[in-house]
Amino acid sequence: MQEFKTIGKVIRAEKELTKRAYIYKAFERFWHWSQALLIMFLVITGFEIHSSYQLLGYERAILYHDIAAWSLLILIIFAIFWHFATGAWKQYIPTMKLVKEQANYYIFGIFKGAPHPTKKTSYNKFNPLQRLTYFGFKVFIIPVQVISGFLYMYYMYPENPIHFIGFDITALIHTFGAFMLLAFLIAHLYLLTTGESPKASFAAMLFGWEEVSVTPDEEHRDHMQIAVDNSIAGYYRLDENGLFLDVNDAWMKLYKCTDKNNVLNMKCTIARKDKDKDELLKTVEKVLKGESFRGIYSERKCFDGTTGNHILSMNPTYENDKITGVEGFIIDITDIHRVEEQMFHSVRNSEAGYYRLNTKGYYEEVNAAWLKMYKCVDKENVIGKHYSLSRQEKDLKEADEIFKTVLSGKTISSKIVTRRCKDGTTAKQVLSANPVYDCDNIIGVEGFIIDLPGLEVEE
Amino acid sequence: MKEDGSTGCKIRKFVMFAILISLPWYLIYVIGYSIEESDHAINDTIKVRFNQDKKPSIVDHSKFEILKQEFTNPMEVTEACVSCHNKRHTEVMQTSHWNWSRDLVRPNGDTVKIGKENVINNFCITTQSNRWKCTSCHVGYGWSEMEFDFKDYKKVDCLVCHDTTGAYEKEPFGSGFPIKEKKAFTNKTYFPPNYSYIAKNVGKSKVENCGKCHFYGGGGDNVKHGDLSSDLYHPDKEMDVHMDETGTNMSCVDCHQTERHNITGKLYSVSNDDGNRVTCEKCHTGKVHKNNTLNRHINRIACQTCHIPTYAKGKATKMIWDWSTAGKLDSEGKKYKEYDSLHNVTYKSDKGTYVWETNVEPEYVWFNGTADQYIPGDVIEDTTQVVQINTLFGSHNDKNSKIIPVKVHRGKQIFDPVNKTLIVPHIYGHDSTAYHHGLNWNLSAKVGMKEAGLPYSGKYSFISTEMYWPLNHMVSPVEQSLKCIDCHSKNSKLKNLKGFYIPGRDNNNFLDILGIFMIMGTFIGVMIHAVIRFFKAKHIIN
Repeated sequence: MQEFKTIGKVIRAEKELTKRAYIYKAFERFWHWSQALLIMFLVITGFEIHSSYQLLGYERAILYHDIAAWSLLILIIFAIFWHFATGAWKQYIPTMKLVKEQANYYIFGIFKGAPHPTKKTSYNKFNPLQRLTYFGFKVFIIPVQVISGFLYMYYMYPENPIHFIGFDITALIHTFGAFMLLAFLIAHLYLLTTGESPKASFAAMLFGWEEVSVTPDEEHRDHMQIAVDNSIAGYYRLDENGLFLDVNDAWMKLYKCTDKNNVLNMKCTIARKDKDKDELLKTVEKVLKGESFRGIYSERKCFDGTTGNHILSMNPTYENDKITGVEGFIIDITDIHRVEEQMFHSVRNSEAGYYRLNTKGYYEEVNAAWLKMYKCVDKENVIGKHYSLSRQEKDLKEADEIFKTVLSGKTISSKIVTRRCKDGTTAKQVLSANPVYDCDNIIGVEGFIIDLPGLEVEE
Repeated sequence: MKEDGSTGCKIRKFVMFAILISLPWYLIYVIGYSIEESDHAINDTIKVRFNQDKKPSIVDHSKFEILKQEFTNPMEVTEACVSCHNKRHTEVMQTSHWNWSRDLVRPNGDTVKIGKENVINNFCITTQSNRWKCTSCHVGYGWSEMEFDFKDYKKVDCLVCHDTTGAYEKEPFGSGFPIKEKKAFTNKTYFPPNYSYIAKNVGKSKVENCGKCHFYGGGGDNVKHGDLSSDLYHPDKEMDVHMDETGTNMSCVDCHQTERHNITGKLYSVSNDDGNRVTCEKCHTGKVHKNNTLNRHINRIACQTCHIPTYAKGKATKMIWDWSTAGKLDSEGKKYKEYDSLHNVTYKSDKGTYVWETNVEPEYVWFNGTADQYIPGDVIEDTTQVVQINTLFGSHNDKNSKIIPVKVHRGKQIFDPVNKTLIVPHIYGHDSTAYHHGLNWNLSAKVGMKEAGLPYSGKYSFISTEMYWPLNHMVSPVEQSLKCIDCHSKNSKLKNLKGFYIPGRDNNNFLDILGIFMIMGTFIGVMIHAVIRFFKAKHIIN
């Protein structure tokens, strides 16, 4: 992690360490824009009802104001459901952390060109002031407007069943709320311009994707998760006693296990030959004390009795700063026979290197781990270049084939290839590649590389 | 922009997203449009619980032997009617058409007789002491003095309501009798009716029967009501949607349904309780508007308020009658008249000054169905105030009250400043004490008050009065009904009704100013912030 951070710092000096992430889900965007349009429409028709101007005609203004109010209510009910179902409501929990810094930024820092005190990440979309404001918006302005609005609509006369405050008071509260909404709208639109890139923020609200700051941990978690999801790596998690808590499908496949129940709550040693069991337990113990291992060569005992080889990573899982277990990934290297002899050559960096190519074979994205493996400091030197840059001439044919195969929709995993680094040296790596989809079209290739430093020596 | 794919795909995504966003709006529009449309097309969809009896009468009166005789006076006709329709006269004799009064409880708890017989108005003022003129609209014969025999069934005038020929007419100054010999009044000649012909053709009451009296209240066409005039004999849709000759062609009794001669409906100039009324809801039931916001208005807004946007759409109605100017004579010492451009009389020596209006916008009041009348003898507490001839009760706090449209007839009439009572003047008569002849208020008051059995101090003056006439007729086509903006605006038609909040009419100035400050403050705040950012940024770059 130390080396990674160093590189991270180097990159950060020139450009913020960021990635593009899908931060606004489809419903979220639908909800945001529908709510925004509905509120604007309600403000426009509402102030006509307030006799501030004449636009639609009073009857029509009321009619459409009422229908829009019902629509907003339905939308809000869906949104509440969505927020709780997805856990997105947590984004709005107000925090006092960094509130002062954020306020200071808007009052002083922004004029001096100071950096934003908080970073936008896909796990933390809002800065503390946004959290506070949106929280207030959701639990104060909106409920006040909805409740006073529906009272306004149905509480018209004393004989109505809903009768607790006067009609005039209801109307005045509703009017005041409308002024608050309008003020919010102005401030909201203005604060959009204080973001890193207003245009990008606006586009993000439309398409969902935005450049967000990346923390190394998050990147690791994210990309490893993708790796896991793409069945390239097997994932496992143990509790503090060394019992299996969870494995993914890829893990099961590698272990030729058909029923997850055969694994869960079993001692981790079932995954090893007898002679390796002590070694494994020792390692687990070390991890539980806080150590991490990133590339242990291991021989696994599958459930059907056969064996296989994989590279294993192990790291502790934390909960409230307490180690609660062990988790890690395995990447199959069964076909790599020569590696057998290099079991002591642990992979120096289990950080998976990530890359993405467009359909023409040009690099669109690489991550820091990739850059490090390729001994490349500046990402800009890679982006936009053809992948042939990263291969020796003699390997190009093989690379072209892989590329073509993936573009046809197939996925390739654990292919050992030789990379050509920026300084001209070469090294072996395990490569995975899978197509990138957008609207059912393949728009590129992405994948991970895991370094095999031992083979580099062989070469 | 990489994850989003090609520009084409991005556009496609955007279009899809735009469609997704606009779908609910399409729905909003469709719902709104359907509600709007169906309210405009209300005539096609309106559900009215009304069955008009258009069948011809099952009885041919001309075949009855008793009606084949030669009648010499109308009482014989009545006897002939009663010989078959026995006891029907007792029904008539219980109605206020006959009695001109009924026992009513006043707000102070007194039960008194109230009706045409004794109340005051600010037109011709009272029927007391002027009976022989006023009773030309009484469903009886011969009520010229105080002692009229209300038990004599022969005096019941069946024909005035049941004549279908139009040949029957009462004499204007004949105590309720038709004319006995050919006679001319002003510019019209009256002939004795052919009773035999009329009696053979009796039937259900038509507009003409009712209109004969009710359209001419106050002594002329549309003088009193404003919404009842000879225009209703042959109205088009613009004049009255219900009585439209080419359309629904309803007659008075289609709404004023009658059972055993008790005709529903009443007027609050002569009665004060909430009973026996005709309501729109009798026919217009349920969800009368598609727009629920409009339906919710029905709780507190009478139908008439929106659907009678103006009254006196044809014939002019009298808005002001100032008796205090009466008595002037022309240079030759004779009584004279003045006219306005529409040939409405604006001054008469024996009547005073009139103001006429057409297409009048009603005034609006809260009304709960109960009222009170000024009854001769009532002491006026505060003579500096305008006297309310009749008071319509109701307020926004009273949940039985609705806002109704009224014609307010304003007048100035004679009163006794010592006893603080309105005076019952003797206006009509052949004698010189009748103001009509003598132009002497003192004598007129003396005789009138004596007949009313009330004290008169000998001093008289004039006092301003107001009389309230709820408007119920001449309902306009739906396109002409009031629009929301007519009341929900700063220039509201209801601006005189205070004490409650009407959206669009009312606002809280403090709150509005606060709100505008808040919005301006936010706007100016962000502008200042933006300007500083702009210049500081330049500074940093430099």
